[in-house]
Amino acid sequence: MVVAEVPKLASAAEYFFKMGVEGKRFRPTVLLLMATALDVQMPRHPADAAIDTLSTELRSRQQCIAEITEMIHVASLLHDDVLDDADTRRGIGSLNFVMGNKLAVLAGDFLLSRACVALASLKNTEVVSLLAKVVEHLVTGETMQMTTTSDQRCNMEYYMQKTYYKTASLISNSCKAIALLAGQTAEVSILAYEYGKNLGLAYQLIDDVLDFTGTSTSLGKGSLSDIRHGIITAPILFAMEEFPELRTVVNEGFDSSANVDRALEYLGKSRGIQRTRELAAKHASLASAAIDSFPENNDENVQRSRRALVELTHRVITRTK
Amino acid sequence: MMSVRGLTRVSRSACARCRWVYSSLGTYADPPLLQNSSHFRSPVQASQEVLGCRVIYSWVSSALSSVGQQAHIQSSSAVEEQLDPFSLVADELSILANRLRSMVVAEVPKLASAAEYFFKMGVEGKRFRPTVLLLMATALDVQMPRHPADAAIDTLSTELRSRQQCIAEITEMIHVASLLHDDVLDDADTRRGIGSLNFVMGNKLAVLAGDFLLSRACVALASLKNTEVVSLLAKVVEHLVTGETMQMTTTSDQRCNMEYYMQKTYYKTASLISNSCKAIALLAGQTAEVSILAYEYGKNLGLAYQLIDDVLDFTGTSTSLGKGSLSDIRHGIITAPILFAMEEFPELRTVVNEGFDSSANVDRALEYLGKSRGIQRTRELAAKHASLASAAIDSFPENNDENVQRSRRALVELTHRVITRTK
Repeated sequence: MVVAEVPKLASAAEYFFKMGVEGKRFRPTVLLLMATALDVQMPRHPADAAIDTLSTELRSRQQCIAEITEMIHVASLLHDDVLDDADTRRGIGSLNFVMGNKLAVLAGDFLLSRACVALASLKNTEVVSLLAKVVEHLVTGETMQMTTTSDQRCNMEYYMQKTYYKTASLISNSCKAIALLAGQTAEVSILAYEYGKNLGLAYQLIDDVLDFTGTSTSLGKGSLSDIRHGIITAPILFAMEEFPELRTVVNEGFDSSANVDRALEYLGKSRGIQRTRELAAKHASLASAAIDSFPENNDENVQRSRRALVELTHRVITRTK
Repeated sequence: MMSVRGLTRVSRSACARCRWVYSSLGTYADPPLLQNSSHFRSPVQASQEVLGCRVIYSWVSSALSSVGQQAHIQSSSAVEEQLDPFSLVADELSILANRLRSMVVAEVPKLASAAEYFFKMGVEGKRFRPTVLLLMATALDVQMPRHPADAAIDTLSTELRSRQQCIAEITEMIHVASLLHDDVLDDADTRRGIGSLNFVMGNKLAVLAGDFLLSRACVALASLKNTEVVSLLAKVVEHLVTGETMQMTTTSDQRCNMEYYMQKTYYKTASLISNSCKAIALLAGQTAEVSILAYEYGKNLGLAYQLIDDVLDFTGTSTSLGKGSLSDIRHGIITAPILFAMEEFPELRTVVNEGFDSSANVDRALEYLGKSRGIQRTRELAAKHASLASAAIDSFPENNDENVQRSRRALVELTHRVITRTK
């Protein structure tokens, strides 16, 4: 789907596949499991080839959602990466640098356009709207992150909203799309949405913790990349509630490693990490509860997929990387 | 898109204005972020609240009213000109402008500012594409028997018209999204990485704003519930990307190749207008044959437009060489006049391969161009495409309705204006 006429565009699309491999294809996994978990049971007669074709066709369409989701995800990564490096390179404006960035923008657009065509082929307006809204959310989330005032940066509600836009919207809305394609009721579609949303939020919160702790349980062993980029995440936000003086440090910024150390100190004294883990666990169990509320279905495959989805809610919070 | 020189020049200063706006706005009132993201406030309220600054709003409204004035001035001089295509659709365009404004309201203030930029661009461009599309919509009006009591038919007509207006809006959103993206890094090398935060944010915001517009375009497309139309316009985005990439990554052989150049020009300029004309026809329920004619009109009009654009970059408003902005050649973009000149003077190719960082080479190229028939041949090619466009309109199925005929004449008039314009 991403073969391009122009060679350089094709190389950028290759990057797409590498990314997919690197990420263990988490999103598509969730979506395909969701597809099975919501399988509308149809009476099967040996001679009923038509029903089987319908099933297969539905499955293709759901697979398409998974592909589209990956394309949108990678397009947003390409676009976000474009200028994250601009200031650190300090404008060593080599042609490769410029072309690299511009090509990233173009490649992202290319993927978005292919996603649009694929979406159109599903002939389902609601699904198109859902996934187009996701792109808008990704943009809004990234913009929120870039343009926060110092008040907003220290605000947990703002942070959760931004996290919803940047991380959870894609997975929640694509889960909902899977349900809609399967012909499920609005109620069930909302449950699918809730699963995706809570799973995504739990994932991001643990991500925030791991940025501080890495694979160990002690502080400061993670990459600390969030804080070094001045991105204030849940653990720090919680710590600020206990230690208002931490806010002064935050407002000063983290260009100096002295401030990073100071922040880590406060974080260590606070319950920031623990409270973040607790919040993640809460979202994970909300996700799990959504699955448990699905309409009853005795099919073995369906049950197995539902168990797998629940298993994912555990793994998301116990993972160490 | 580097396809429209005047717009790109303007866009740079508009961008600079936007950056001024960003830095001067500083802090603003609490943005209503926690509201439901699908909640739209009225556009007026939104722009005032969100930007906390009346300056922006009055910008846009005065810009929009000047379009109205322009159109009015044009129609009053219509005594000399039989037909002004732009004034035929001026009213409808204001309705579109309002709708567009409400479609791009964003929650986040800075995103909203970037969307404002969108409207300035639209005004500056005389809304050429929407004009063509609205005229095309009338020109292809499928005549339905009208009975006085037949409200249903009228509703259908109105609904069709809305859908066609929607195509015009979508087309503008896609066009501006591509401009925003293209402008992003056109400046990167000339600014030589004066990496101020505003600079970086300005660029990244442009990328994000472009994505935002694309996503709104997708939602609007989806609402049309017509898969073929969605595919057509999604393909356009792909073409825009391909064309821009072709321009960035040409080998020296490709740069000197007329066929490659025309293909790139199709992708970058003509694809949008041709495919949206086709979409208009499809929505109108026209046959495949007529849809292709609409496509051919758009394609040839677009190509003619670009070829004259190439000429004007050299000549400006005068007929002599070197008076234009010369921005193409300075950016190392080899356009039709130079390509033709190279056919007559192969030695020009050496100059081209050396590049145009030095103004000496620019002068050398202009010299060859002046000696050659490059400019004239480009004009001739443009005229050929313009008349192909005109011929497509003439091949439309016969229709005696007065409005239909007037729109068709206006579309033909546009094919003349495209090649006689001096800026």
